[in-house]
Amino acid sequence: MSKSLTTTLICAMVLIALGGATGVRADDDTVVRVSLDRDTIGMDEQVVLEIEVSGSIQDLPPPQMPTLSMFEVYSQGRSSNISIVNGQVSSSVTYRYLLLPTKPGTFSIDRVAVVYNNKRYKGNEVNLTVLKSGSSVSQQLEERATDEEGSTRDYFLEADVDKRSPFVNEQVTLTLKFYIGVQHYGSPELSEPTTTGFWTEILGNKAAYYQVVNNRKYKVIERKYALFPTQTGELTIGRATIRTTVAAKSRRRDPFDMFGDFFGRGVEVTARSQPIKLNVQPLPEEGRPADFTGTIGAFSLSAQADKREVEVNQPVTVTVRISGTGNIKSIAEPVIPQLDEFRAYKASTNESISKLKDEIGGAKIYEEVFIPRRPGDLEIPALKYSYFDLKSRQYKYLTTQPIRIKAIKPEGYAASADLPYASPDLTIGSRSRDIRYIKEDIGATSRPGYMLFVTPVYLVVNGVPVVLLASLILVRRRREKLAGNVGLARSQAASKMARKRLAKARSLAHPESAEEFFAEIRLALIAYIADKLNISPHGLTVDGIGRLVGEKTDDGALVEKLVGVLQKCDYARFAPASLTQQDVAESLAAAEDIMIKLEAVAFA
Amino acid sequence: MRRIILLTVTLCFLPAILFVGGAAAQTDEFAMANEFYENKDYSSAVRLYLSVLNHGAESANLYFNLGNAYFKDGDLGHAVFYYLKARRLAPDDQDIIHNLEFVRQFSRVQMEGVELNPLRTFFIGLVEGYRLGTLAWLSSIFFILFVLILCVRYGLGVSNFPVRIGAVVLLVLLLASSGLTSFKYRDDYLTRRAVIITEDANVHTGPSDQSDVELEGAPGLIVEIISETVDYYDVLFENKRRGWIKKDQVAVL
Repeated sequence: MSKSLTTTLICAMVLIALGGATGVRADDDTVVRVSLDRDTIGMDEQVVLEIEVSGSIQDLPPPQMPTLSMFEVYSQGRSSNISIVNGQVSSSVTYRYLLLPTKPGTFSIDRVAVVYNNKRYKGNEVNLTVLKSGSSVSQQLEERATDEEGSTRDYFLEADVDKRSPFVNEQVTLTLKFYIGVQHYGSPELSEPTTTGFWTEILGNKAAYYQVVNNRKYKVIERKYALFPTQTGELTIGRATIRTTVAAKSRRRDPFDMFGDFFGRGVEVTARSQPIKLNVQPLPEEGRPADFTGTIGAFSLSAQADKREVEVNQPVTVTVRISGTGNIKSIAEPVIPQLDEFRAYKASTNESISKLKDEIGGAKIYEEVFIPRRPGDLEIPALKYSYFDLKSRQYKYLTTQPIRIKAIKPEGYAASADLPYASPDLTIGSRSRDIRYIKEDIGATSRPGYMLFVTPVYLVVNGVPVVLLASLILVRRRREKLAGNVGLARSQAASKMARKRLAKARSLAHPESAEEFFAEIRLALIAYIADKLNISPHGLTVDGIGRLVGEKTDDGALVEKLVGVLQKCDYARFAPASLTQQDVAESLAAAEDIMIKLEAVAFA
Repeated sequence: MRRIILLTVTLCFLPAILFVGGAAAQTDEFAMANEFYENKDYSSAVRLYLSVLNHGAESANLYFNLGNAYFKDGDLGHAVFYYLKARRLAPDDQDIIHNLEFVRQFSRVQMEGVELNPLRTFFIGLVEGYRLGTLAWLSSIFFILFVLILCVRYGLGVSNFPVRIGAVVLLVLLLASSGLTSFKYRDDYLTRRAVIITEDANVHTGPSDQSDVELEGAPGLIVEIISETVDYYDVLFENKRRGWIKKDQVAVL
């Protein structure tokens, strides 16, 4: 099969699979959400109505709008979003309408619906108040929009909170609104307010809209924050600063400056909000549970096990979920009681934070692993969790249902049944279910801390070649040195030769071989001295030898003894028959003594 | 006279006699510990294995059995500790490798996101299967051959091409084997490692109980000791997380 054909087939299979998964099957998860960007406006203002239709079908139908006779309605278009996760399709379409009020009053928009496959999906109800006065702004805002000279400001930054005396850890929504009544260039640059003493979460920016204050139309850029006070007492939300470039006011009309505004000549301006003081209240002492950990808001608690029947020593994962509105990050983990029948471990913690309708909420999810220690019908008891409910202003307890687990002893698990720990789900590099068995014999032992490097065997084995190398190098150098210096070579060889000759003479030490004996003694002494002095032994007389040795030593007795022995040797050459054994012995002893003493003489 | 000869011989062979006697006692104790293990009396087995160790003998098999007995007795930290000691003496023993790998799975905390130095990993891969002694003897062989070839070159004065090439090749082999031996020695003995042995082993951001908890340790986790104070070790985990842990919560290899 060719590669291209294979690729085509795979693509076709994927498309078929996707088609199957993304069919236009109408599900009951279709939801219609209706929202307004503001709930109170003035007669001169406008409001944006958003209708979001979402579900797991691709061709979501458009909503059916009720008759909104008290508004002029203009469509502002639609946006859609489709996502496919694990083959599950979810899509949403948001329709946006601009509503301009035609009369004051409070109006309910409650009949938005979507009809699909003859089924009607109704949207939620929203209320809108249209003020008669022509403006939804407060007197304080009107004052802020007025400068010292009584005229309206071109721009100003307003900060406000939804409550001034919250409980500790209760959400306070801070709204920053930048009002700008003149043309501006680029995006304004905001320096966030300081919120020391609060845990802060940015809720986000609202799409810019227009509002009339003091009969002047301002563009409003809005940003909201969720603040959670972390301590009681007076806390201050610092000033926020916004910087932008606005069109410069022309002081006089210059007929040649007609292109000035066109090219956007501007001036950088800064607006600052007022600091806001909050008086944070402590939570009431009355009715506070002993295990209360500071969780505040509106929450629910659930606990679910991933399986209800499990082998002994195999893990059951229980997912504990605390969800609702409030400071999710500060939620403390529920206390898991010590259980005799289970070994319990913390596995993981996750949290998801939502910001629906400017309220921080979401869920904190704890996964706890319970490992049955013994077979039988076991029970993980109900979990309790206390929190302070903001709506009722009192402490409440959340509880879960007990979870029953059937722990069974697995077949063929005898070998690992006594494992003190639960078998992990994944076995790294091995499919074995137990450790390998102990060794029968102790094996080769050594002293604790034994180090091969410092053992004599190791040092000797490595040291011998080094000694050998050093010796060979020394021998070779010595040889080279002697080869280049005959005198030194003769001097160093002299003793050895002399000892050899004396040894030979000792073997001839008899009256019968007296002539050879004395010849050898004479040669040993004369050759030794000639070698030491690096001169030829031929032609040396007894007197000459005595003089040469006398020059090298102060020992006169030695010189005299040497001369005496040499003279006796000469005498023996001519009259050997007259020599007795005693003469031979005395001469040998004298020669050996002379040789020992000559060794000490420095001839060099 | 006979008495003197007997006394002399006894004194000469006394160390050997004592050694043989001691070795026999160790073997008996080891066998007894094995029996306790077979009868699932793991705490008694641990006690006897430790007794053999206290008599001044160590072996890979002894450490291996100690690791097994500790694991079966529910002491994961000491099990990992003794398997590591066994692996140091016999890095090529597959039983030790298997059991160490097996028991480390049970550690409550797994060190995720391990950042490995690729160069160090490469060198560890080269030497981990060899004992330090094997590498040391290999280095010795190359050293002796290198010195012998130097003897030929400088002692005997032979300087032909094969001798020169042989010297260069042996020098390279000597440097490589010595380098690996040094690395192995450094990794096994100079790098101080420890194993967490207690259940509640909090790792702090500083050497004090008052410091914040950086992470929760668990028995069986292996750490490298960077520095120490009187009561705390500054330790580095395998995934490069660092903190201070009490000295009595770890066993130093």
